[in-house]
Amino acid sequence: MSENDLRAIFVFADGIAREALVPPGMSVLDGALAQNVPILYQCKSGTCGTCVAQLLNGAAPLREDRATSLLPSEKAQGRRLLCSTDLHSVCTFALDYASDVGTVQAQKVHAFIDKIDFLAADVVRLDVELAEGCWLDFKPGQFIQVTVPDTGKVRRYSMASSPGDLPRIALLIRLLPNGLMSTYLRERAAVDDVLEIEGPFGSFFLHEKVRAPHVMIAGGTGLAPLMSMLDVLRVAPGGKPQILLSFGCATREGLFFCDEIELRQFWLPSLQARISIDRGEPSATVRIGNPVQAITAEDVGDPETVAYLCGPPAMIAAAHDHLCRLGVAPKNIFTEQFVASEEM
Amino acid sequence: MSESVKIQRRSKSDRVNRISDKRANDARTQSLYQPYKDAEWGFINHWYPALFSEELLEGAVAGIQICGIPIVLRRVDGKIFALKDQCAHRGVRLSSKPTCLTKDTISCWYHGFTYDLASGKLATIIGNPDDPLIGTTGITTYSVEEVAGLIFVFVRDDEFPDQDLPPLSADLPIRFPENSEKFPHPLWPPAPSLLDEGAVALGIHRTGESNWRIACENGFDNAHILVHKDSPVIHAKDWILPLGIRPTAADCITPIEGDGPKGMMQWLFTDKWEPILENKTLGLKVEGLNSRFYRTSVFLPGVLMVENWPEEHVVQYEWYVPITDDTYEYWEVLVRVCNTEATRKSFHDRFETFYRPMCLNGFNDCDLYAREAMQDFYADGYGWDNEQLVDTDVSPITWRKLAARYNRGIARPGRGVDGAIKASSIRIRRLAEGKKLGYFVEKIDDINTARPSSGGKK
Repeated sequence: MSENDLRAIFVFADGIAREALVPPGMSVLDGALAQNVPILYQCKSGTCGTCVAQLLNGAAPLREDRATSLLPSEKAQGRRLLCSTDLHSVCTFALDYASDVGTVQAQKVHAFIDKIDFLAADVVRLDVELAEGCWLDFKPGQFIQVTVPDTGKVRRYSMASSPGDLPRIALLIRLLPNGLMSTYLRERAAVDDVLEIEGPFGSFFLHEKVRAPHVMIAGGTGLAPLMSMLDVLRVAPGGKPQILLSFGCATREGLFFCDEIELRQFWLPSLQARISIDRGEPSATVRIGNPVQAITAEDVGDPETVAYLCGPPAMIAAAHDHLCRLGVAPKNIFTEQFVASEEM
Repeated sequence: MSESVKIQRRSKSDRVNRISDKRANDARTQSLYQPYKDAEWGFINHWYPALFSEELLEGAVAGIQICGIPIVLRRVDGKIFALKDQCAHRGVRLSSKPTCLTKDTISCWYHGFTYDLASGKLATIIGNPDDPLIGTTGITTYSVEEVAGLIFVFVRDDEFPDQDLPPLSADLPIRFPENSEKFPHPLWPPAPSLLDEGAVALGIHRTGESNWRIACENGFDNAHILVHKDSPVIHAKDWILPLGIRPTAADCITPIEGDGPKGMMQWLFTDKWEPILENKTLGLKVEGLNSRFYRTSVFLPGVLMVENWPEEHVVQYEWYVPITDDTYEYWEVLVRVCNTEATRKSFHDRFETFYRPMCLNGFNDCDLYAREAMQDFYADGYGWDNEQLVDTDVSPITWRKLAARYNRGIARPGRGVDGAIKASSIRIRRLAEGKKLGYFVEKIDDINTARPSSGGKK
């Protein structure tokens, strides 16, 4: 950096402003990218139009020696292709997307109910399909908001399906005695009902291309985001990490998805699963205890182990403490708490 | 969201290729091999044969398609390079008019994007050498191995990490004698392997019109030998070929799941499989005189090994390499270890005069008809639900489960490639010209002369 560098300010659609110092002769785009300002771009040669921005103030001409795909009228309105723009003074540019476009934008869409499956004493699997013309992307682990029909109230559920299953989405819903969604599912919901959903949301998602062992701990419907992660891990190109899934429910009557977990173990040889119930009779595949204590020191011997925890707050707290005590680095532990709305 | 837009279903049609509750191969079993059912365009991140060595001479360029991925191969100073045959700029196939201006590059003949053969990086643009795009983009490269006269390519996802490249041997059948103790074969000598020193591979490859899975399952389905009942080679050699071979023991198939190749061995010609020589209901009886012992095994990504076939010291390998979801390249390769010029010559002679006409054609031509006959039943997805399986189908079902578990990835349906749209105008023109769907890219003979079929006024 030198004293001849000029300052460019970028204002994103979410109001966040970022700055970069651009050396003379360097394009505004290269200057911004060199300082990690998240500008979208593709061709870098003035053609594709991806890096378009609005010049708000300052002097920033398009390069004379390069043809760009901007129309004269667009240039006159202050549109600039940042890959082909020079700074002649301090300038401010507006971008018409948010500063976190690297993460996916939330969409409001409609979806049709495909299937309502009462899996266990208090768990429903809800399968929906996005309506014609609707789409939303998500990272495995994220959640959506579903408006409970006829109430205007929203509830949050993590996708149990993977992005590869879109336009179909599967949700796991815990039934509560007087819950709004629970009452809807028990009394009114029918196949072909239309739901309003919005998403994705959440910063709990799979960190991809990590080869260190993965430990996943789920309580009840907290299994949902982890199932989504497992399906993404299974189809990711290249070698698979060792994965240990510990899943627990209170009782045998509350247990669900055992066959789904078994299938994932068949399809993904590096997956090991432990299933626990708090009380009742043990069996060959189900142990008695909680899913946190099912993880032992040998399971997390690798200092790079990453952990994903999802379930009720008490379980998350206990699992976090337990894993830290066993030597898992706190920065490698990712958590999502499931709190019943009615209790909030 | 605009309120005026009608909210409607994406599709009102039946859901194809979802699990049926009604069949003997129930939802549970079908679920186990759901990834196999998903693999319409094949398994990706595996080694596949691409060409015979003699099909890519020094300096030559050839374009092919495997698992929906267009691939161009070029040989320079003996070494073979393979890249995605789809220019990063506008998707033109480099191989349709090969343009190589230096030894280490290949250029697109349309706009001159020029790629480094080894790295795939955009090295220059013929008419635009100072463009800032140069060096910042490129096309995927594929690892190549050449053994015994066969060129193999590791067909991968663009994002497949280089350090995870498996050895070719992981995608070839197991070898003998190292497996002779585990899989004894008292009735024939150890089968040769492509990787043996002195191995010579001779064979043919051609395009079949069915899904690759239909073709692959045909290879080791022990009830299918009925289609070979009247093969000339069977009658000429007076071989005993049973009407069928049915399983008689729970362990009639051994899965092979350790390090190395993944697949399964069938214990043919042991007490675990019963050859059926007579059907009294139909008054049929096999009358051959000479026992013809053989054994079939199959490995990911879909390679068949027939030991002791067609004769002693020879092994037949077959691949059913997916091109699209309804075409596959059928490879029939015979391997024999030839350590002297004399054995090499006699293997070549035997290949030309006997194996090729009588076995690879003749005998195996029946299989092409058989696979095609099943294609329509499975093509729309319903066949997987509606098939009525019988005890001999333990072979395909075991294979499906192993393939579902051990594949390295499911190829995405082809995009922007031949076969993604079944009735494109170019395909229809080719059909009118009397050319069949194929594996190779059609090269432009003379760019200054219109094709005969579009030559204008008569």
